[in-house]
Amino acid sequence: MSNKIPDNVDKSCGCLIEDLLTKSEDSKCTGQPENSDYNKRERIMVDPDVEKISLDFYQKKFTDGLPIIPPTRSRVNKFYQYSKGDPQEVMAILPPLQGKATREKIAVNGVMAGCLPHFMPLLEKAVMGLGDEKFNLAGVNSTTHPVAVCTIINGPVRNELEFNSKSGCLGPGNLPNATIGRAIRFCLINIAGAVPGIGDHSTMGSSSKYSYCFAENEEKSPWEPLNVERNILADSGAVTLLGMEAAHNVNDHRSQNASDLLDTIIHTAATPGCNNSHVPGELLVIMSPEHARTISDEGWEKKDVKKYIHQHAVVPVNLADRGGRKLDEIWCKENMVPITRKIDDVVIVVAGGPGRHTMLAHGFGTSCESVTLPLD
Amino acid sequence: MKVNLVEKEVMDPLAESGQKNILLNDIPSPVHQISFFDNTKPGADIILNLLKTRLKQMDVIESKKPAGAAASKSQLEKAAEGDVSILALGDCGSCTTWVILDAIRLEKEGVPTLSICSHKFTPFARKLAQAHGAPNLRIVEIAHPIAGLDPEKVKEKTNFIIPEIEKILYNAD
Repeated sequence: MSNKIPDNVDKSCGCLIEDLLTKSEDSKCTGQPENSDYNKRERIMVDPDVEKISLDFYQKKFTDGLPIIPPTRSRVNKFYQYSKGDPQEVMAILPPLQGKATREKIAVNGVMAGCLPHFMPLLEKAVMGLGDEKFNLAGVNSTTHPVAVCTIINGPVRNELEFNSKSGCLGPGNLPNATIGRAIRFCLINIAGAVPGIGDHSTMGSSSKYSYCFAENEEKSPWEPLNVERNILADSGAVTLLGMEAAHNVNDHRSQNASDLLDTIIHTAATPGCNNSHVPGELLVIMSPEHARTISDEGWEKKDVKKYIHQHAVVPVNLADRGGRKLDEIWCKENMVPITRKIDDVVIVVAGGPGRHTMLAHGFGTSCESVTLPLD
Repeated sequence: MKVNLVEKEVMDPLAESGQKNILLNDIPSPVHQISFFDNTKPGADIILNLLKTRLKQMDVIESKKPAGAAASKSQLEKAAEGDVSILALGDCGSCTTWVILDAIRLEKEGVPTLSICSHKFTPFARKLAQAHGAPNLRIVEIAHPIAGLDPEKVKEKTNFIIPEIEKILYNAD
């Protein structure tokens, strides 16, 4: 590199940047006229150091352990541009610590998670859903069970925000899936108080607590999407929040008819040890397009599949009644207990790319109902 | 010109609590009727049955509630028939949460409460009670674990906490 000072640099004071950095304050530019610009100080605001803030926030237990984007005012303000209303308005109260989820706090946590500003309306809506009493966030957050918040996106917003509903939709590799799921976790940690070991007592935690968000592959589904099933117009889209364990695979490449394939699914689902076995509740079935097609080609409607799974996914009472809460006899029939209480506890979505797999997620149990909210 | 490079401030992600303090109810003296609010966690019945044998001069109302969820209205009403309600057992995250939150619901209905939580979850129980406006909620600590133990071992652990419970119930004034 040449030592020659470029012509466009002001050399009038005789100081180079190296001088400014290495010489003491007193020795710099002595003898400059009093009215020289040198004596003026200009503050230049720079973005905080990512490593420093990440470590600081990590030590304060504000993060999931991974680096974060520093939530500066300017970054948070960009999120407000996509939001309507006062940043201090409380969108939800989140238990267990009854934190006030204001727009500001949602945006701050969204920035930290790496969300883009235009994700803000969806993020707000998701947090509002968490505040619904029927979701039982107080229990979901604090339990020793490894339940996480699973977020499913439906409608045009999937393509507008470029969610992944296809191959690898459960991760990794897609920005909206990854960061919105992560932002929801940050809201749980920092607004609700679900700090692992303090407000979140999951015995081992779960990888699904880092992020657990995907979109339904509506284009490849033979059935109506989840939002339509829940009486929300297809055009408006929706966000659905479920209290679910991490998803568990059902590999079936050989079944050539609905009955065989569904038998594989129900035998994988009907296991003791899940909360559903002693406190029956929702079961999430994420079916690949190929599996869904095998079933639908025989004329099965979605409601038929839900009914079949509800009726056949059963666990023997002696194995089922080993959970934290005593199994209530009202669920038992002929010495068996269904892992779902009713047909609509079987929540089916079609997602993923090519391949003959379905994924199942057991829920938190009787006390946690999923919430679906329309997007504006 | 001198240049000061200043890092932009970062905003606080933590939320304020949206809860106001509630008033706790005094335990009457004497206590005539006591309700046992059993959340069906393993060992909760053993603890409460042993207590029942020790609190002979009190009539006992027995009520059950879900472990990881709120008590129903009728369950809560039954528990509220006591002069005092004893809730057991908080020995996991969600059951501790709903022991404490249901205790607070009873306190709001005018019923003094006493919640039994295992010592591994008592710090959380106290923090939770504080967040819900009841920093002085009565919580009695029993040695963790309770689930998975032989009933005799649970009784042994219960015997350790009975004097504290008796003190709260009999020395109320």
